[in-house]
Amino acid sequence: MTAVLYVLGLIFMTVGVGFLLIAALGVWRLPDVMSRLHALTKADTAGLTLIVLGAACLTGRLASLPALGLCVLLVALSGATIGHLIARAHLSKADLE
Amino acid sequence: MSLAFDILLAFGIVFTAAAALRARDRVATVAGFVVTGLLVALSFVRLGAPDVALAEAAIGAGLTGALLLRSARRLKQVENRMSPPVHRFFAALIASAFAGAIAWAVYTASGTAVYPALVSERLAESGVTNPVTAVLLNFRVWDTLLEIVVLFAALVLVRIVAPAFPQPSVLGQLMLPFARIIVPMCAFIAGHLLWQGASVPGGAFQAGAMLAGGLLVLLLGGFALPTPRLLTWGTMIAFAGLAVFTLAALGTEALTGTLLLYPDGAEKVWIIAIESALTLSIAAMLCLLFCGTPRRAMK
Repeated sequence: MTAVLYVLGLIFMTVGVGFLLIAALGVWRLPDVMSRLHALTKADTAGLTLIVLGAACLTGRLASLPALGLCVLLVALSGATIGHLIARAHLSKADLE
Repeated sequence: MSLAFDILLAFGIVFTAAAALRARDRVATVAGFVVTGLLVALSFVRLGAPDVALAEAAIGAGLTGALLLRSARRLKQVENRMSPPVHRFFAALIASAFAGAIAWAVYTASGTAVYPALVSERLAESGVTNPVTAVLLNFRVWDTLLEIVVLFAALVLVRIVAPAFPQPSVLGQLMLPFARIIVPMCAFIAGHLLWQGASVPGGAFQAGAMLAGGLLVLLLGGFALPTPRLLTWGTMIAFAGLAVFTLAALGTEALTGTLLLYPDGAEKVWIIAIESALTLSIAAMLCLLFCGTPRRAMK
């Protein structure tokens, strides 16, 4: 059981890190603010959620879930809101020009 | 494995610090500063100092970042010019000498820490089980009292210099649902940090910073306007923490004959009472440092 959880945790974390790498690559390579945001906000939240799932598997305790879940909730909330704010600021700036 | 992580972390800190210094845009500079602060907080976790890590993340990176961003709006764009080579040469020389001195000091230090043993020996008498809280709120509580005085002095200075409150921009429809979840959660986590400070890392400073973060969401989202009345109340709350702390010091003097020596058996009650007052007061102070003054804020 522990070994299964361990392997499962490692798989979750590897996929999660992959998502984060894609997000980083998107921010680095994509041409403008909007497409960068598009890459960042989604891949970022997905990556973190997977890493947290992996971490929960590695600890092997249900008690670790509320705190880890809170991390995901906070990052998902602030990620979505900040993405929205940056896009808004970018659009109003574009309107001015 | 963890050595690789530590080395990556160390390089990451230097890299983000350099990126912050090299960025031409002020907002990018502050962003670099905040990321550096978060990585430094992570390094404190790795060094086994989670209390310092919490304070660094909440105050060092979070609130200082907010204060810097607020100031960045008022400053002009950085001029893009290199200093003369002589200046850079001597700057590099001084920096290398300083780094060398630190490396030498760390390398030659004997490595035996005196304090942990002394603290753990008397921990049972302190009323709390977290050694950091025991030192801050019992063994060296005098220092903490004076720290609050310093924070209050900083607040008085800001009131005199009187920077105006930045006009909050219109932030769109997502801000209200965001605030509805985040602000209660900030209050909840602040209470949690305050209460758990007695046994595990946490305490008044971290809880106060958390609460201040929630208040800043309200202020910057335009849900609470910094009216003179509100700021006066804030100043009263900021002062109340210091007043409660000072009264507690006088109370212990009257009860036990020694300044800030808590009565036997009631240590935890005194500590929690002082810390609760300090949490509210620190939150108010950090917010007021951000807000500026009521007179100019109304313009």
